[in-house]
Amino acid sequence: MAVIEIDNLTRRYGTRRGIDEVSLTIGEGALYGFLGPNGAGKTTTIRVLLGFMKATSGSARVFGLDCWKQSHLVKAGVGAIPGDLRLWNWLSGNSALKLFGQIRGIDIRANGKKLAEELELDLSVKVRAMSRGMRQKLGLILALAHEPRVLILDEPTTALDPLMQERVRGMLRRMVSAGHTVFFSSHTLGEVENLCDRVAIVRSGRIVADSTLVELQRTAGHEVAIEWADDAAGREASGAAVPAGLTLDHQSARKWEGRFTGDVRELLAFAARKPVVDFRVARPDLESLFRRYYTDEGVGGES
Amino acid sequence: MIVNLGLVRRSLRELIPVSLGFGVFTGTVVGLLSYALPQVQARFMRRGFIPPQVRQLRNALFGVDTSDAGIAEVAFSMVWIHPVLIILLFAHAILVCTRIPAGEIERGTVDVLLAMPVSRWKLFRSETAAWLITAALVLGLAFLGCYVGTRFVTPDQLPDFGRLAMNLANLALVYGAVGCAALAIAAGVDRRMRAVMGVLVVTIGTLMVNFLEPLWEPAKHAAPLSLLHYYKPFAVMKTGEWQVKDLAILAGVCATLWVTAGVIFSRRDITTT
Repeated sequence: MAVIEIDNLTRRYGTRRGIDEVSLTIGEGALYGFLGPNGAGKTTTIRVLLGFMKATSGSARVFGLDCWKQSHLVKAGVGAIPGDLRLWNWLSGNSALKLFGQIRGIDIRANGKKLAEELELDLSVKVRAMSRGMRQKLGLILALAHEPRVLILDEPTTALDPLMQERVRGMLRRMVSAGHTVFFSSHTLGEVENLCDRVAIVRSGRIVADSTLVELQRTAGHEVAIEWADDAAGREASGAAVPAGLTLDHQSARKWEGRFTGDVRELLAFAARKPVVDFRVARPDLESLFRRYYTDEGVGGES
Repeated sequence: MIVNLGLVRRSLRELIPVSLGFGVFTGTVVGLLSYALPQVQARFMRRGFIPPQVRQLRNALFGVDTSDAGIAEVAFSMVWIHPVLIILLFAHAILVCTRIPAGEIERGTVDVLLAMPVSRWKLFRSETAAWLITAALVLGLAFLGCYVGTRFVTPDQLPDFGRLAMNLANLALVYGAVGCAALAIAAGVDRRMRAVMGVLVVTIGTLMVNFLEPLWEPAKHAAPLSLLHYYKPFAVMKTGEWQVKDLAILAGVCATLWVTAGVIFSRRDITTT
């Protein structure tokens, strides 16, 4: 069952682009990564989902409810942490749990205290005396304490140390295994790679990929490097019919480097017909794959 | 429930200390005026002569000739239209009513507030409820200050407290109109200072028009636009009658501005960047 449905969602800020015809569907119990560089449109998408902003066109629904018109009903089942979390300075962890519980109409103190123990946060400290990491932990506790069906997290582990980041990932995995859905926005590949089953990559306001990591790697093709025996062999290879799907990024007389989408045996047969001294073909590592998504027009024909 | 009690408590946690400060200060000012002005007025009456400049200024303040009025009527009318009191009350209304959403956007906390499962209208009503509670505190302390001030005047200088209460209701509506104007302006902007400046233009314009009305012919035409045009403490103190038309107009202004503020707040995009 789809919990979050975004259909052709466009949001502009005057003439400036926010997001452009974004569509995605997230099922119940998914841990969905929303990955993109700064300014790609991640936060805009989240703001529309939380009803802070109206869509210019298209629709966004959570639990089948319209995110703008029925925003308060949507948020009853959502826990959210904004990208740049600011809390009222006079709150302490304890008073925040009490206040947020009063606003939500449920007592979240017991649950909040358990989460605080896990994240090693002293709830008696006032927000004004907290470090950025401590505030981030409190934000996470407040987002998780009412056990929401859906968590919408905008770069939630920023300012946390690696140990705490791992602990947060553990908490999120636990929630997902209990049937909760997590929408996890980040600009850090490693974080999403460690955590998410599925990932959408957003760039310049558009979704450029939406798949599992394995599938993304598969569709991205292979990275290829060929070194010919001499310049004549290189020239001869250039003159011959190169296999379809081979795109060369760097080409000199003796060395070719690029990408290949297609049957590797075809490429192997092509190279075997010429004097070759070195031949490498491999799946791209995720880091380089995502660099390509962030900078290129797409990978494997996607755009 | 038309308000969210958690949100009301949150707002009160921030507003009560500052409102208490305003209330105590306003009460002290009103107390001192309530003690001093009847004595000044009594001195004028004993002399049987009021300097023409004072008479003109007083008539400008009240909008009517007060020559035949008693000590308490004039003195306590002056107390309740004194510029210091008016400025303090307007400042409180502006301070409190520019918080949502302009103030919250400016300090970056609006995201947390809007992520709550509460409709924007409910959030707006909750903020209004908190404002009204603090308004009651400030106006109540002002009235208390007046009461305490009158403990030290002679019996012939004592006001009719029933009439004072009627006048306070009229003043509360003027204060409410300024607050609602602040809500309406703050609902549409992202910076609190812009909202404050907008309301200041409205309120200073109101004060200027009201002051110039009896002194300068062109200002007479603009007088109905001034909120203070609908606040006549002398008429209330003298007759003891409700100024129904004035109250109705002020209530109408409050309602219109409040609904406008709510509609803007509920329909606009809100973002911290």
